[in-house]
Amino acid sequence: MKKTIPLIIVIVGGIIFVLYALSPHKLLQDDFYNKFYIPWAYASAPWAALLGVISLCMMHSSKIKRRAPKWQYSYFFFAGFIITSLAGFIGGTQKGSMLMWIFENMQMPMSSTMFSLLAFYMASAAYKAFRARSTEATVLLVAAIVVMLAQVPLGVKIYKNLPLISQWILDVPNLASKRGIAIGVGLGGVATSLKILLGIERSYLGGTD
Amino acid sequence: MNFFERMQSLDRRWIYIVVALAIIIPLMIPYNSDNVTSPSTENLYQMIDSFAGREDRAILLSFMHDASTMPELYPMEIAIIRHCFERNIKVFALTFLTSGAPIIDYAFNSVKEEYPDIKSGVDYCNFGYKPQAMAVVLGMGDNIANTINTDAEGRKLESLPIMKGITNYNEMNLVVEFSGSTPGTYWIFYARPKFGVNVALGVTAVMAADQYPYLQSGQLIGMLTGLKGAAEYEKLVDVFAAYRDPAIDYSVKTDAEGNKILPGRPFGKEVLNDESTKKLINITTQTKAEFTPAEYTAFVAKYPKQKAIFEQLKEAQNGTIIIDVTKITPELRNQMGETAYREINRLTYNINYKFKVARIGMNAQSVAHIMIIVFILLGNIGYFIQKAKSVEK
Repeated sequence: MKKTIPLIIVIVGGIIFVLYALSPHKLLQDDFYNKFYIPWAYASAPWAALLGVISLCMMHSSKIKRRAPKWQYSYFFFAGFIITSLAGFIGGTQKGSMLMWIFENMQMPMSSTMFSLLAFYMASAAYKAFRARSTEATVLLVAAIVVMLAQVPLGVKIYKNLPLISQWILDVPNLASKRGIAIGVGLGGVATSLKILLGIERSYLGGTD
Repeated sequence: MNFFERMQSLDRRWIYIVVALAIIIPLMIPYNSDNVTSPSTENLYQMIDSFAGREDRAILLSFMHDASTMPELYPMEIAIIRHCFERNIKVFALTFLTSGAPIIDYAFNSVKEEYPDIKSGVDYCNFGYKPQAMAVVLGMGDNIANTINTDAEGRKLESLPIMKGITNYNEMNLVVEFSGSTPGTYWIFYARPKFGVNVALGVTAVMAADQYPYLQSGQLIGMLTGLKGAAEYEKLVDVFAAYRDPAIDYSVKTDAEGNKILPGRPFGKEVLNDESTKKLINITTQTKAEFTPAEYTAFVAKYPKQKAIFEQLKEAQNGTIIIDVTKITPELRNQMGETAYREINRLTYNINYKFKVARIGMNAQSVAHIMIIVFILLGNIGYFIQKAKSVEK
């Protein structure tokens, strides 16, 4: 029962959505989707969020109790979570509110700083690891230099047709490989979906079988 | 240990210092550089511009990113919102990520400061955070007001003036998604095939290559690629706002019902390459308003009471008349009045920092790219010299 009922829900739900995508019938398009699915989807969303919050709190409180490695940082989670939530609930989310102040002066600069570290790692990796050790690596290196130069105003000053060459690299060799990957992923997706719909693929239910 | 061997074992902290300087210096000292616009940016600009002043057309901006990717994506958002506000285009925004909600508020508030006539619910509408992306994307194809119900401020969508003439994707015909992870999935896979909505993307530079198949197949009508895409869009907005074709009447007219009728703007490479327009879109600080004698006479005629002040400020240079706004003291500003002061300030064509941030960033990116290329070359030279020496031994 523990596996049969979820399996039936997935198979029936999956088949209904396949029919919804293929059939313009009012029963599916209006009665099922607009009147049944959308209200239920909206109603379930807050519960999913609540589940996430409970799970996160349990994980961090257990980390503190067990004195797990870096447990001290879990206090920062609770502090951030409680302060941000209170700021939003009490002060609202409008311009000039406490939440927007936290967003503008804390979240935005901290997140952007983390993302900007990428530039430092890229420069370091380019210097230490990007070597023309083989023909393939040399082709990659030349392509990378052309595309990087064409991206910036200075590159166009060096050679005015650089953007055209860069565009060709992106449109032809890049696109050929991307399409190959996309077709592979697409076929794999269809095959896996079919296996799930037919009840062959059951690993998402957990367990070993 | 020779020079190249030493370079091979260079401490990476030196590299970090060079990267930091290469980025900080161009950001602190901006210079004028020209970003060549790509077809994918031009297509998006033209499509949005074609909605100008139309009651039965709107665009939807989908903010699918958090604060970490803001340095690349936020300038695009600002540029598109500014374009919409400037051209009287209805613009909606939503996010399927909780962390995207404050970014929408931040972007609209930031642009709105420069457009005091723009009103929420009339010219733009923020739907805010919406859970269940697929339900919303497919539901809006049928009816937007029924699917979204209320905006971020809790107002019933049906009662908002902006919804007049907007029912579903037939009217809200363009979706631009800004994303830092998996861009456009719902719109390309579900909304476009089922409802024929036009989709465009704004993505970080590292993700752009993945989206080219959709761009070439026509599933995307345009794409802004990283900071470069944002800089290109900023440039297009500035160029076409500044360019004036003598054969076109650019004055805004109103129809019998009082609706604004905006003049069309010709789009073409000749406009983008026009030298006189290039001077009006400099990203360095501009402080001088330049007039021909005829233009100056016409300008002063608009402000007869302030004529004496303008006469005091004007300087003649090579047959043109120049007024330097830095010479306007607080006393003169008081005497002049705020309207005349704003007008003369506008005529300097000084671009507000937030509307040129991507182009200033591109200067830093230029230096950073060149520096990374130099690093790659130096690293390879050192590697091959060392390799040759080890073979000799």
